[in-house]
Amino acid sequence: MANVEYRSVGKSFGSVQVLEKLSLDIADGEFVVLLGSSGCGKSTLLRMTAGLETISSGEIVIDGKVVNGVHPRDRNIAMVFQNYALYPTMKVRENIAFSLEVAGKSKDEIEAQVAEAARVLNLTEYLDRKPSELSGGQRQRVAMGRAMVRNAKVFLFDEPLSNLDAKLRAHMRVEIRQLHDRLKATTVYVTHDQIEAMTMADKIVLMQGGGIVQVGTPDDLYDRPATRYVAEFIGSPQINCQDGEIVSNGGEALFVNGELKLPLPASYAAHQGRQVTCGIRPSDVALSDTGPIVGTLQIAEKTGADKQMHLDVNGSEFVAVAPRHTQGVPGDTLRFAVAPDNIHLFDHASGIRIAA
Amino acid sequence: MMVQSKSTRVLRSVVAWATVLLFAFPLYYWLTVAFKDGKEIFNYPPQVWSFSPTVRNFEEIFGISLGFGFGEQREVLPGGGNWRMAPRLWDSIVIAILSTGLAVSIATLASYALSRMNFSGRHHFVSWVLSTRMMPPVAVAIPIFFIYNELSLLDTYTGVILVHALMNLPLAVLLMKSFFDDIPREIDESGMIDGASRFLIFRRIILPMVKGGAAATAVLCFIFSWTEFLFVLTLTQTGLKTVPVVSSTFVTSTGTAWGNMAALGAAAMLPAFLFILLVQKHLVRGLTLGSVKQ
Repeated sequence: MANVEYRSVGKSFGSVQVLEKLSLDIADGEFVVLLGSSGCGKSTLLRMTAGLETISSGEIVIDGKVVNGVHPRDRNIAMVFQNYALYPTMKVRENIAFSLEVAGKSKDEIEAQVAEAARVLNLTEYLDRKPSELSGGQRQRVAMGRAMVRNAKVFLFDEPLSNLDAKLRAHMRVEIRQLHDRLKATTVYVTHDQIEAMTMADKIVLMQGGGIVQVGTPDDLYDRPATRYVAEFIGSPQINCQDGEIVSNGGEALFVNGELKLPLPASYAAHQGRQVTCGIRPSDVALSDTGPIVGTLQIAEKTGADKQMHLDVNGSEFVAVAPRHTQGVPGDTLRFAVAPDNIHLFDHASGIRIAA
Repeated sequence: MMVQSKSTRVLRSVVAWATVLLFAFPLYYWLTVAFKDGKEIFNYPPQVWSFSPTVRNFEEIFGISLGFGFGEQREVLPGGGNWRMAPRLWDSIVIAILSTGLAVSIATLASYALSRMNFSGRHHFVSWVLSTRMMPPVAVAIPIFFIYNELSLLDTYTGVILVHALMNLPLAVLLMKSFFDDIPREIDESGMIDGASRFLIFRRIILPMVKGGAAATAVLCFIFSWTEFLFVLTLTQTGLKTVPVVSSTFVTSTGTAWGNMAALGAAAMLPAFLFILLVQKHLVRGLTLGSVKQ
């Protein structure tokens, strides 16, 4: 087990800068998720950690040792690829045993380790099958088994669940997290799916355009998003954003956008006149006859557990999560209230969070 | 599935069978010539279906009596050609198999490197490989003759095998490269992380995946070598001769021995057919199936 440290790491392909002076510390045994939309550089960072991409500038340190020039096989890492990358001509048993064989382990030892990995991953009855005879979820588990037996210092996952269906994905999320808790290995996990990040991570690293936007626990990112981008990326359904300004009125602060007037915590009064973006999570609002958010219902989506009301508020779309039995047909006017503490304010120009 | 009317289906079958017959008929007619007696070959109109079969042509070219059929072996053979063809078939088999083996082995290593390794000018290299086939073979036949003369490679198996392998290499490299390109790089990378060296990855993981491709390439190389005429003609004298070259000796000043030529052609198809049959079981597509989720 080991810690991983990125020191001003940069990567460019020709003249295209993919990562810019990125610094990050990953503690021993931590489960870190690199989250971001496609093209943000998260997979490149993972591949650089594995040694599959060269490092253009800066240093990557694994377990106290700079690994910039170290071959992937000497980095003592294990990696699970998005497409699994199993060896198609080998049986499951041989797939899992390959790294042990290469390392020159004895036959008995290999057999014992393969059997143990297969037991943990429920693969025992499939050991003599070829990958082509397995389902997607089973292949995924073989890929994990292959990583497991390596007893690596660092586990790297490159969007391992994106090829699975929703139900299996939810199941594998739990399995991967349980595996981590059992092995206590330092894990770097790349995904574009914020639900995976929220459910699995000890720490989320949200990336955008080759840099880090925010690092923190899932709660940090959800409750105190550093920028409007983070707020919009985390949470489903997406946060509602309205542009407007802060108006202070005798010690009280209000967010004002046309007809919409929302009371803010009093400390915002100091920002009188500032152009801001106001973010309200759909789950933070509640139906209220006197609520300040007045909208015309466009459509009500049933999700089973609740109802997502798509409203037209002030000419822009606003989604509110309401109890499942809430009545309403398109065209109805609904009112919602929100607690001042649950309103996120970002500077209109820079998108950076304005602290209360 | 698409619904088709009966007439469409019938029409499709008719067109398919007509195409098959178009390709099969010359082969069939050639085979009938091999089993026809001299006079019958020249009958006009040609006897396509009804003739009295004989194995005399085969007996003559192999210089043996098969012990059936009619007539006795002719005492005096027409023309000055070499009528003992069994050794010539053997020459063809040795040259075709060894040159195919050489070409496919070199091409496999070269195309793996071209597919996977980064070196400057890689893309130019690929087109440069093919450029060697843009020159008409006859333009290089004479220079090679002189080079071989200096190296004492004229009239040797080694000489012909080398030149056939070289002629096949460009196509084999390009073909094999496309098979390697089809294999996702993640498989190599996964092997790398598993601790394997580049060569071990090639030998244990990648090579078994391109078996089918190698078999297909081998078939093409074999057929080229089996039917190649020009280089064998210029680079050999009496030591060895392959079937295509020796077939030409049936055209003599006193006439063309069509029956013998057809018999040799028919006999020569057998080894090629057997070779293709042997490698055919490896010509299975979809070997990478299941390795990655597409």
